[in-house]
Amino acid sequence: MLAHADDPAQRTLAKYRANGGYRALGKALSRTPEQVTDEVLRSGLRGRGGAGFPTGKKWQFVPKDSKKPKYLCVNADESEPGTCKDRQIMERDPHQMIEGALIAAYAIGAGACYVYVRGEYPHSIRAMEEAIDEARAAGLVGKGILGTKFSCEMWVHPGAGAYICGEETALLSSLEGGRGYPRLKPPFPAVEGLWRCPTIVNNVETLACVTHIVARGAEWWASMGCSGSTGTRLFCVSGHVKRPGVYELECGKFTLRQLLEEFCGGTNTGRPIKGCMPGGSSFQVLRADELDVRFDVDALAKAGSSLGSGGIIVFDDSISAVDVALNIAEFYSHESCGQCTPCREGSDWVRKILVRLASGRGSKSDLDLLWDVTRKMDGTTICPLAEALVWPVQSYLEKFPADFEAAVARRASA
Amino acid sequence: MTPQANVTIDGAKVAVPPGTNLIEAGRRAGVEVPHYCYHPRLSIAGNCRVCLVEIEGMPKLQIACNTGARDGMVVHTKNDRVKAARAGVMEFLLINHPLDCTICDQAGECKLQEYAVDHGTGVARFDDGKVRKPKNISWGDRVVFDSERCILCTRCVRFLDEVAKTPEVSIDERGDRSSLIVRGDGQLTSPYQMNIIDLCPVGALTSRDFRFKSRVWFMRFTDTICTSCARGCNVTLGSRNERVLRMVPRPNPEVNDHWMCDHGRLHYAFVNDESRLAAPKVDGKAVPYAVAVAKAAALLQAAKAKGVLAVASPFMTNEELFALAGVCDALGVEDRFFLKPVGTGDALLVHPEKCPNARGAAAAGFRELSSPHPSSAYGAAIYAVPREGAALPPDLLAKAGKRVVLSLRDHPADVLLPLTTWIEKDGTVISAGDRLQRVVKGITFDRNLVAERLLLERIREALEPGFRVAETPALAFQRVAEAWPALAGIGWRQIGALGVALRRAEVPA
Amino acid sequence: MSVPPGPLPRPLVERIEALFARYPYRRAALLPALHLVQKEHGGWLPDDAIRATADLFGLPDQEVRGVIGFYEMFHTHPVGRHVVRVCKTLPCKLRGADGILRHIEARYGVENGGTTGDGRFTLECFECLGHCSTGPMMLVDDERHENLTAEAVDRALGALR
Repeated sequence: MLAHADDPAQRTLAKYRANGGYRALGKALSRTPEQVTDEVLRSGLRGRGGAGFPTGKKWQFVPKDSKKPKYLCVNADESEPGTCKDRQIMERDPHQMIEGALIAAYAIGAGACYVYVRGEYPHSIRAMEEAIDEARAAGLVGKGILGTKFSCEMWVHPGAGAYICGEETALLSSLEGGRGYPRLKPPFPAVEGLWRCPTIVNNVETLACVTHIVARGAEWWASMGCSGSTGTRLFCVSGHVKRPGVYELECGKFTLRQLLEEFCGGTNTGRPIKGCMPGGSSFQVLRADELDVRFDVDALAKAGSSLGSGGIIVFDDSISAVDVALNIAEFYSHESCGQCTPCREGSDWVRKILVRLASGRGSKSDLDLLWDVTRKMDGTTICPLAEALVWPVQSYLEKFPADFEAAVARRASA
Repeated sequence: MTPQANVTIDGAKVAVPPGTNLIEAGRRAGVEVPHYCYHPRLSIAGNCRVCLVEIEGMPKLQIACNTGARDGMVVHTKNDRVKAARAGVMEFLLINHPLDCTICDQAGECKLQEYAVDHGTGVARFDDGKVRKPKNISWGDRVVFDSERCILCTRCVRFLDEVAKTPEVSIDERGDRSSLIVRGDGQLTSPYQMNIIDLCPVGALTSRDFRFKSRVWFMRFTDTICTSCARGCNVTLGSRNERVLRMVPRPNPEVNDHWMCDHGRLHYAFVNDESRLAAPKVDGKAVPYAVAVAKAAALLQAAKAKGVLAVASPFMTNEELFALAGVCDALGVEDRFFLKPVGTGDALLVHPEKCPNARGAAAAGFRELSSPHPSSAYGAAIYAVPREGAALPPDLLAKAGKRVVLSLRDHPADVLLPLTTWIEKDGTVISAGDRLQRVVKGITFDRNLVAERLLLERIREALEPGFRVAETPALAFQRVAEAWPALAGIGWRQIGALGVALRRAEVPA
Repeated sequence: MSVPPGPLPRPLVERIEALFARYPYRRAALLPALHLVQKEHGGWLPDDAIRATADLFGLPDQEVRGVIGFYEMFHTHPVGRHVVRVCKTLPCKLRGADGILRHIEARYGVENGGTTGDGRFTLECFECLGHCSTGPMMLVDDERHENLTAEAVDRALGALR
């Protein structure tokens, strides 16, 4: 996916085609939609937005016999802390994603595709709009694509600043022109999504992968990576490392420690790694002694964390776990949509408790309170934003008890 | 026969149509699943999370309101896991809720209070600053909004959008800063806006009219109907010290569903009007009832030869109209009319007939007064003044001769008899849709007032030897039911709080 | 579709109406339209512009205000000539975002949400802006500045007029 990332000309249709672009689309259109879906299914491709659901399987949920128009939405709302990879594709090699989106639209029978780009990405918005305009002018978007009967329109749709709109049903609510409220499931978007029509929401990177899978085959894709995490993936590393950045890697070929120490050069501060959030801020932290885990979806899940959206955040021992947890709680309470009781009220309660702890006004009972409040948010809400706060905060409480006890002790000595 | 879904809820088995939500299924099984945002007449919001239940085979707790019953489902609403989750939700609802109970009108009928006691933890652990939001905001002159009390269940938003069809309320901001806002000039326009006060489970939406008037536990409640138009919306009337304080709608799927219009809801001040007629008058001077009745009978009897005009009011009950018709029969009255106030109706509940019992008046044999008016002069008239909206035209009044007048308020008359209002008597009316409904006595405005049905029957007694006054409202009704084909076979106890549908063909148009 | 009275200039209305064709239901064009309306009004959404937009979409005015209030990027009060958004979320915090913010606050006398006295810029502390590997970073209008130092900040903000 990053093969041509450093070539500014790759953004243009001409260069993209010169490098083999849009042949995959031609291939897909010469087959049936079911065959295309099957190829993606066999590749083992899993969604790259954070949930990791098998992409081909998701496409199959679209009811074949529905007379309603079908839609594809590209989730380009990339707002997960630690994640800056979709932006690379949109800014550097956008046609790769456009081609994948067209293939996906063909596979599910969609006639229109909306690329929901977060409003704070003006560069991505501009790059996508220019690339789509080029593609449309060349007959690759719109009516009768590549001379076939397949027609699909594509538009960029800007968000306006709300992390929750990365949740697929909230994205739909926002795209329909409303507040970004996640929706009750069932019904699922594949059956009732945009304007109650069958809709598939796919991540930017996922669709870029689709292009390559169709171009070179499911077997080729599955030959890379490892079982359960086939192909290559984009990872962003940030925080206290020497070489932060976006890396395209094969899962299962290295451990998290190797990634951090060898690929990223260890910490940039000279101090030892204290912890790492391998899946962005929505999943559990791993302590420095827990980094010898093979880096793939299943191994990380077994280790009590997740690959998530591929945003790896590293911190050294100069920062207290309490401050990290507080920063995370601030994020989620700020971004909570406010629709349902446990998240709306609980997220800011957690934040307030952590504020007191971080400023030396917390007590021992606050630690028990944090556990109890977070437990009551877990599994009781409309969408997983509650868990995205609960799991990391609980993991900090569990894995860095000394930091919390020190925070409590500060009050005692005050 | 559609296959039923057999579900087990807390061990109780019940068969319901597949897809029935578990709150409704629970009701049928005798299990009450607590909830705020759910309402049977509104779309599902699923945001309060109070109705979380455990369904065997599903790892996560599910909201009962959005889960459809499937055959074989086994549901637990009271096990430890559900109780803990519910207690958690209650705690979350209370952490930012202001301690307004002592000044909040909702106290005593507040679902937050009730569920906190039934399902909450009983201990407050929140020690940080509560979120502050606007309070005591008037959304016009009827509804008062308090944002701190609001639990954002969105019942009001959905009602105004889906039922009243005036989407005037939306949510602003995000997270726990969320707050309701109204249209630009800050005033609600819907003629049904006050229903959101009933819908609001807490004291976030309260009635300006009722504000600070009384604690609910000091009120007496009477299930009756509204009499401001022919719809006859079912209501629960709250009174205290024999004065009306408020009316709220009472559910009746055949009449008003769960709603009533604001006009009807607020239209009761006349009941409490201290300047109401409290005693009968003859020639403008207060007299005992016996004197007034005797004088009325004598006056009418004397005018019999020349002809008597009778004007009924469609605000009277069936029993009163029957009694007046009885007087007319005894006098041989041919010109029997009633005055019907009309206005505009709407697509929801408001009926163009601005009186509760035009149908009863017709059934009793009175004709709607229409042009041209009768031209002859009368010896006397017996005239029941409609509560509002209609009056005997001056030309007819001039021809009336001597007048026996029944009225709520003072009125020129030779004999003036006080009327009572619908909340002061037991009786029946025929509402729009040909439904027989009860009005129920809830207050005694003045212990000295005598029911007008009794007055009319005593006048008849004076005119018709052998006639006996009906001693009870039930007996009075029985006589009407025996006389009117439309009411044939209906017993007093049968009518109940929801009324009875009458056979269409029997009721005069 | 008749042009509603009010402060939306004809060319803006035409651009919004062109968006309608992209969606089966007009309301979906609301967010892109609000961006255009906001840009037209110097970076914020005055009350009568909101009402005119609501009219154009056939929506109750408070419904549009409720949509606006949900999203960070819409302003209902005047902003400076530029908007400076500094990311404060964990990856940027780990690379010194707190110091950058304190520097801006001290040097330019402005707090989070406030505007400099000369109206040059409004400062906004923002959550993750998606440049985690090159933090600390800020967005100044549509321009981005990554790998910030105090000097880089001063160069960027000093160039603002």
